[in-house]
Amino acid sequence: MRTTKLYAGVAAAAFLIAAGASSAADATIKIGVATALTGAYGDLGQQVKRAVDFAVEEVNAKGGIDGRKVETQYQDTQAKADIARQQAEKLVNDGFTILTGSIASGEALGIAPMLERWDAVMMGTVPKADALTGAECSPRFFRANIPDYADAATVGTWLKEQSEKKWAIMGSDTAWGRNSGASFTKTASGLTRDIVAEGYAGLGTNDFAPYIQKILDSGAEGVWVALAGRDAINFAQQAKQFGLIDKLKVAGVSFVTDNTVKTLGDVSKGIYGIINYSSTLDTPANKAFVDAWAKKYPGTLPANFEGETYLGMQVLFAGIDKADSTSPEDIAEALEGIETDTIIGKISVRQADHQFVRGNFFGRIEDQDGTLRPVVATSVAADVAMPAADDACKL
Amino acid sequence: MLIQILNGLVYAGLLYIVSVGLVLIFGLRRVVNFAHGGFYMVGAYAGYTAAMVFGFWGGLIVAVLVLGLIGILLDYVVFRPLQNADHMVTVLVTFGILLVFEDVVQMIWGADTLSVLAPYPFDGTVQLGDILFPVYRLLVIAVAIAVALGLTLWLRFSRAGLYVRASSVDALTTGMQGVDTEKLSLSVVGLGTALAGLSGVIASPLLALSPSMGSSILIESFIVVVTGGLGSFAGAFIAALLIGQVHNLGIVYVPNVASMLPLLLMVVVLILKPTGFARSYS
Repeated sequence: MRTTKLYAGVAAAAFLIAAGASSAADATIKIGVATALTGAYGDLGQQVKRAVDFAVEEVNAKGGIDGRKVETQYQDTQAKADIARQQAEKLVNDGFTILTGSIASGEALGIAPMLERWDAVMMGTVPKADALTGAECSPRFFRANIPDYADAATVGTWLKEQSEKKWAIMGSDTAWGRNSGASFTKTASGLTRDIVAEGYAGLGTNDFAPYIQKILDSGAEGVWVALAGRDAINFAQQAKQFGLIDKLKVAGVSFVTDNTVKTLGDVSKGIYGIINYSSTLDTPANKAFVDAWAKKYPGTLPANFEGETYLGMQVLFAGIDKADSTSPEDIAEALEGIETDTIIGKISVRQADHQFVRGNFFGRIEDQDGTLRPVVATSVAADVAMPAADDACKL
Repeated sequence: MLIQILNGLVYAGLLYIVSVGLVLIFGLRRVVNFAHGGFYMVGAYAGYTAAMVFGFWGGLIVAVLVLGLIGILLDYVVFRPLQNADHMVTVLVTFGILLVFEDVVQMIWGADTLSVLAPYPFDGTVQLGDILFPVYRLLVIAVAIAVALGLTLWLRFSRAGLYVRASSVDALTTGMQGVDTEKLSLSVVGLGTALAGLSGVIASPLLALSPSMGSSILIESFIVVVTGGLGSFAGAFIAALLIGQVHNLGIVYVPNVASMLPLLLMVVVLILKPTGFARSYS
């Protein structure tokens, strides 16, 4: 009796040691996702979560990256810069040194300068402020999505062909909204268009009526909208009630998304906008992705930021694979200049500023096969869509 | 300019309906009810779901009833046991309830933003001078006026109203006169939360539904309640009118400091008159 117990104990101990040893050999890859799970950008944070979960589940099903499993941990930032920084630091302290998830540019701008000190690396897939790969660029920060100045280049090709001369700007009063407004102003004045009204509404604004009335009073023929999440829906719904959407040409960024369409229905029909990613893109890789997505999340198509976050994860995983290491420093080094296949084709990561070099799209919300969705009208190739790196970035 | 003033009135109307529920509850229970934003949000969601079955107006009735019941429960389970506790304790508990509600709503309806269309026949626009104005916005003003009128009449002329006024001045003495203040506050808290439900449904064709909608209107309603004088109905009415205008005209004429103005107004009023616009019940 006593011996059996002893044997059992030894066996258990041996098993534990073996398990410990094997997990040390192929340490897991720990991705910390500090994102806006609640708040005015809560829907965008949930999109990031769905995309990261999807990508991680997929790669783990294939046995992980070089045999290393990927593990995630989430923290809620409410899209607030100060909370984002605390949550990111918490994740890093827990060993999750590969970060992603920022929604508002302010969040990423707060985290990026800390990355080297924390010995972490970060993949931005949503924040658009130019400074992240400009004056505030960091050797440890990479951006998968398309920044404002690049969106402006794509808008330029569209705006040239529009007859409207007088434009208004309706932006969110955040680093991103102001940045987008400034980029649009620059593009528009280069094309001899006038900006006749400008409004920037705080995050979580309830009543947009004064802004809408101001735009209507200004005599603008078109309006550029840089609002996202709940703000975008609030504005669109109220603008429709005031007749603004029917009267003016409405275009925007992060405004024409699958989400806006789902929520607004017919209200959104005919709105133009930058489409950074669309589930309708006709590449075999994208089709496979959309099919697999619908299996995991039945009845849904990957939305704009879900696509962008997923492709960010694709490149991140390729970088980890190339680095063959879980050290953030090695991963950052491997990501620099990497070229890899993604759902939107081959993408390279620019050495000078860590921006992904990729094409961009412009389109509008149309009825396609009986469902409203953002439909790509113009594809802009990477060489036009991604202007040269900002000199202000010194890596 | 006139249109902007009208827009200010719409927002004032909405703020008033939210705030007056807070005022009711504070008057009787002396509770600063942070959960009120949560009730407003739950009201909007409940109305949204019920509207699928009963239509917009049916949804409104369901939301008001459901929220009234939640209020009665709240008074029974939370306010009554805590009535002798420190004010800070109830503040914290109600704030906790707000957070719980946000998570529960997110679990049931998801974090995605939802929207509600204005009900027929209020879904069109009306020509005011040379400007088109959404009819639904006028309805919001009308509802706010109806709520204000109804409450005033009830407080002034009904027996229950008399009890409410009496017990918010001095609950102990009112109780000694034979008024069952416990029962009274049960129905008053219920009425307060029912008003939160009403405001949530009324707001839903204007504002998008999201779990964070409650906390975003709560701050502005508190500004209204504090500026008006805690517990004062007339004060809340005047404060809502004023803050609606300051908010709107600020955005039009001084956009860079607009978000600060309502807070600034509150600070100025409190410095000049620490009790807010009104001193007691009116």
